[in-house]
Amino acid sequence: MQRGDRDPRSAPVDDTRRGALWIALAYALIGTIWILLSDRALEALVTDGAVRAQAQTVKGWFYVLVTAVLLYLAIARLRAGLAARDRRLRAVLDTMLDGVIVFDRCGRIVEANPAAAEIMGTADPALPDGELSQLLVRSVVRHPDGRPARPEETAAWRALNGETIDGWETLVRRADGRDVFLTVSAVPLVGHGGEPELAVVAIRDVSEVKRFEAMREEFLATAAHELKTPLAVVKAYAQLMQRRGQGDPSALSAITRQTDRLHRIVQQLLEVSRFRVGGGELRRERFDLGTLAEEVVADMPGTRGRVVIAREPGAAVNGDRERIGQVVAALLENALRFSPGGGEVETSIARLGSDAVLSVRDRGVGIAPERQARVFERFYRAHVGTPEDYGGLGLGLDVSREIVARHGGRIWFESEQGRGSTFSFSLPLAEDAS
Amino acid sequence: MSGPDVLVVEDDADLAALVEMILADAGYPVRTAAEGAQALARVEERMPGVILLDMRMPVMNGWEFARAFADRYGRAAPIVVVTAAENARARAEEVGADGWIEKPFDLQAVIDAVAVHLGPPPAA
Repeated sequence: MQRGDRDPRSAPVDDTRRGALWIALAYALIGTIWILLSDRALEALVTDGAVRAQAQTVKGWFYVLVTAVLLYLAIARLRAGLAARDRRLRAVLDTMLDGVIVFDRCGRIVEANPAAAEIMGTADPALPDGELSQLLVRSVVRHPDGRPARPEETAAWRALNGETIDGWETLVRRADGRDVFLTVSAVPLVGHGGEPELAVVAIRDVSEVKRFEAMREEFLATAAHELKTPLAVVKAYAQLMQRRGQGDPSALSAITRQTDRLHRIVQQLLEVSRFRVGGGELRRERFDLGTLAEEVVADMPGTRGRVVIAREPGAAVNGDRERIGQVVAALLENALRFSPGGGEVETSIARLGSDAVLSVRDRGVGIAPERQARVFERFYRAHVGTPEDYGGLGLGLDVSREIVARHGGRIWFESEQGRGSTFSFSLPLAEDAS
Repeated sequence: MSGPDVLVVEDDADLAALVEMILADAGYPVRTAAEGAQALARVEERMPGVILLDMRMPVMNGWEFARAFADRYGRAAPIVVVTAAENARARAEEVGADGWIEKPFDLQAVIDAVAVHLGPPPAA
C-alpha cells in the first residue's frame, strides 16, 4: 500500500471538523434569534427610554453569562471525553503483548508502550536516545539471515515514507545484548498536507517460535536420516533375493517399489527441514530440461503408456539437476495420483521469452476453487476429507516451490474441478541457450 | 582369492552382512569392520583394494577414519563413502573420497562402485 489511500485514516478528522462547524452555525443562529427577539420584546414591554437602556445592559450581561457557562460545559465535557479515551487507549497499549512505537516525521520516538520497552530490553525505549536512526544502530538491525539491514529497508523508515508494512521480519539486538527475532508491522499516519506525519510501528518477539521451528527441523533431519539405513537394508535384501532367484519375484518387486516410495517421502521431509535450517546449497550445472523430464519419466513406475512428452529443443537451464528432477517427479506423481480414472498426462517443455517452462497436465479430479489458494502450503492437502483423497504428505508442492524459487523461477497452476489440473514451472534459460 | 579385496566399514550388522553378500555374489573377496578403529586394524593386516565407508559410526566415525587413513597411508586405497546424508557428493568431497553411494542404494550401484576400482565382477 502506497500513499494515496490515506482517506480512511484522515476521515475522522473531517468528521470532527464538520461537527464543530454545525455547533458554531447553531450557536450563531440561536444568538441572532435571541438578539432580534429580545430587542423586540424589550421595546414592547419597556416604554421608558432610560429604563430600557438599563435593561439592555442587564440583557447583555445575562447573554455573556449564559454563553460563558455553555462554553465551560462544552469544553469540560470535551476534555473529559478526550481524557477518558486517552486512558482507554493507554490501557490498551499498556496491556498489549506487542510492542508499539510511534515515530514522528523526523524519526523521533513520540510514544512507546511498556511491551516495546520489554521487547527491546530497556526501561524506556524512548529515553536513552529517542531517534529512529539511533535505535536502528543501537539494535544492530539485521535481516533474519543475519545480513545487516539498511535503514531505508526497515519497516519504520518505509512507513515514514508512506508505505504500509505487514510482517517484516528482522533480527535485532536488545539492550542486554541478546538477539531477538521480531516481526514488524507499520502504518503511516497522514496529516493535512497528505504527507505522513507519524509512523505507528508494532513489533512482536517471535524468537521462541523460531527456536521451536529450528528444533523441529533438526529433529526432522535426524529422524529422516535414521530412517534411511533400515530402508537401505530392506530394499537391497529384496534386490539380492531377486537376483539370486529366491522368493516370489512379484512380492520382491513390490518391496522394492514400496521402499522407493518410503524413501521419496523421507527425502521430502529431509528436503523441507534442510531448506529451513541450513539453506541447502544448490549444485548448479547446465542441463536440458527436456532431457531431464524424459529421464524422470523413464525412472518413475506407472508412467508407461500414460505420460506423453512434448519437448521443444534447446531448453537448457543452469540449475541443480537433482533438485529440479525432484520437482518434475513431484508434479508427475501428483498428476498420476489425482487422475485415478486414467487419462493421458501431458508433459510439455517449451521456451517462453528468456525462460524454459515445463508443464504437466492431467485429466484428473482437479482442485476445488476454494482450496486452490492454499495448494502450495506445507502439509496442506487439497483433497483431504473429499472422496478424492488419494494420499500424500502435502510436502511435494511446498518443496517444489522452494526449489524453483531458489533457482529464480516461478511455479503456478490452473485447475478445474472434475476436469484436471496443469502445474507449470519456469526457470531462466541458461545464458548461451540457443 | 588373493587379489585385492573390499573392506566394508559399517556399524549396522545387517547392512554390513548384506553388502558382503552382494559383493561375494559378484565374486569379490570381502572383509568387514564395524567401525573406524577396527577398519584401521584390518588395513594394517593387509591393504584392501577399495574401502566402502559408512560415515555415522560409534567409536571412530567415517570422518576420523578417513583422516587417520590419509595420514598413515596417503591414497593407498580408494575410499567410497556410503551415506544417508542428503548431499552424498559433498560428504565424499569432505573426506577426499573417490566416490559415493547414497543410502538407500540399488544393489547394482554397490557393484558398480567397486568395479570402478577392482575391475568387472569376477562372477559375472
